[in-house]
Amino acid sequence: MHEISYQQAIIEAMVEEMRRDEAVVLMGEDVGTFGGLTGTTVGIIEEFGDTRVLEMPISECGFVGASVGAALKGVRPIVELGLADVSLVAMDQLVNSAAKMNYFHDGVASASAVYRLWSGFRPSGGAQMSQSNEAMFAHVPGLKVVMPSTPRDVKGLLKAAIRDDNPVIFFEPKGCYALLGEVPEDDEVIPLGQAQVKCSGADVSVIATGVMVGKALTVAKKLAAEGIEVEVVDPRTLRPLDTETLVASACKTGRVVLAQEASQFCGYCAEIAALLADQAFDSLKAPIKRVGGAETPVPLSPRMEPLVVPGEAAIEAAIHSVLG
Amino acid sequence: MSLSPQDLKQLFRRLLLIRRFEEEAFRLAVAGKFANYHGGMGQEAIPVGACYGLKPTDNTMITHRGLGVLLTRGVPVGEIFAGLYAKESCPTRGRHPIFHMAAPELGILAGTTMVGSVIPLATGAALAARIQGKSDVTISFFGDGSVNRGDFHEGINLGAVRKLPIVYFCENNFYAKSMPLEASTAGGNIVSRAQGYGLPSEVVDGNDVVAVYEATQRAVARARAGDGPTFIECLTYRWTPHSTAGDREFSRTDEELAGWKAKCPVMRLRKQLIAAGHASAQELDAVDLDIQREVAEGVEFAEAAPYAAPGVALENVYL
Repeated sequence: MHEISYQQAIIEAMVEEMRRDEAVVLMGEDVGTFGGLTGTTVGIIEEFGDTRVLEMPISECGFVGASVGAALKGVRPIVELGLADVSLVAMDQLVNSAAKMNYFHDGVASASAVYRLWSGFRPSGGAQMSQSNEAMFAHVPGLKVVMPSTPRDVKGLLKAAIRDDNPVIFFEPKGCYALLGEVPEDDEVIPLGQAQVKCSGADVSVIATGVMVGKALTVAKKLAAEGIEVEVVDPRTLRPLDTETLVASACKTGRVVLAQEASQFCGYCAEIAALLADQAFDSLKAPIKRVGGAETPVPLSPRMEPLVVPGEAAIEAAIHSVLG
Repeated sequence: MSLSPQDLKQLFRRLLLIRRFEEEAFRLAVAGKFANYHGGMGQEAIPVGACYGLKPTDNTMITHRGLGVLLTRGVPVGEIFAGLYAKESCPTRGRHPIFHMAAPELGILAGTTMVGSVIPLATGAALAARIQGKSDVTISFFGDGSVNRGDFHEGINLGAVRKLPIVYFCENNFYAKSMPLEASTAGGNIVSRAQGYGLPSEVVDGNDVVAVYEATQRAVARARAGDGPTFIECLTYRWTPHSTAGDREFSRTDEELAGWKAKCPVMRLRKQLIAAGHASAQELDAVDLDIQREVAEGVEFAEAAPYAAPGVALENVYL
């Protein structure tokens, strides 16, 4: 084990996968010597050269489309889209092309590509640099959607995403980037579609995604001192969803809080709420509560942040609410 | 590269096969045998001339009117009819319109419905050849309706800036569905857009199969040699409505249509073959009968083919 940041874990995953398989290439804007908008491509072009690190013009439909076409011919692109907001520019190629190409090719060629999206709130980012649009992609058959919350998870899941034969939309919440954590030295691949219980508890389940996982764990620690046992579950992969682990936790505690950074309406947590209503209804002792972002574009001023970005206080309040 | 009399007769056979196939497809669609058909009658010289000299390892990506590419690259007639009938006995397996057909062993990658979105996809296939050190060339087919899409510009720019082995192939039939070119496309012409990206470009008589073949071969040779993309604009005309789904005719005049019918690519090559003494009228009539038999057998095959089980709908959404 060694302690590295979430950001460093992303670099390690990509470098190790590019060493393992020469079909893996990196594409995106400023991914060369500049090191990527996210700082996660630093040093990669130096090792692999410009035939495997492909700097792209600002033309997201163009190079996302090209990544799909290249994948059909056996290349395995990792596409850094930078801001998750930018993915919306390429929505046609992601949803109409990438998500459908395995179906069209019926197993004889695959759109095996990973689209890395730097998502969520960024101080002073504003409305087009702060979105968490995971639910839009999780809605689409043909896409897999991943949102890791820890350094260990991001490394193991990114490796699995790169090895997957399906297009994977890989969300990297900005709020997770500086997190430090222990990551194994060996080649740990975390299978897509496995949730993880981040801390066990008997009284209430908080099922949280992305940056909300860390906030939920902080709340759990605080409430433990008050004698409330909070179980925190991270789906990690949003599609396919590990329904079993989520349902088991809900059945165990009977009280559920769902937490996401994205604005709440039609968000990903609504899908989990529906799942639990269907499969854990008899075990529930209280209505499911959701915690999410405000129904507004994300504003610029940091003074407005507490109103718009869901924080620990909102999780804590929701827990108290379901405990009655 | 130069075409022998034997080659010319092969070209004639392929042109006529597309024509007879489409006549039958229109008849069957109108008779309600299948939902819809996007025809390209009158444009046969383009797929035949473009694909005749390709290797199976070269890639093509098509538009709605890509039937001719599928036939010329070797997809059997019966399979394509089965695709139109939404039967199992086609690579589309009743799940997709035939322009989404994929047959990688024939170099056919799935086309898309969104007009112009194949241009970046095809550029990616060419990028793969570059990354993998292969000499394969990709042809991206699209119509004049694509040239105002961002995908046209983003795809061609990417291919040009990276000098990828691709031919950007515009079939300009002067109407995007019902929209006349002059009403939709600023600047007066299409080819100057490609020239703006520094691409070698040609405007070709798209009803002259030999001219299309020769232009494509020049472009393919350039791409294989590592000299980057070429833009080919073929001028042609669609005789038929946008599709068989009850589309109304629009601003096209009878005179305009008659003028283009006089430039029929099939009749044109037939006359050339006879005038040059490469074939007799009787010989070409026999070819026609043979093709009509092939088409009829294809329809029989499709009629008899099984429908896919509904569960096929759920296969290979994920691999």
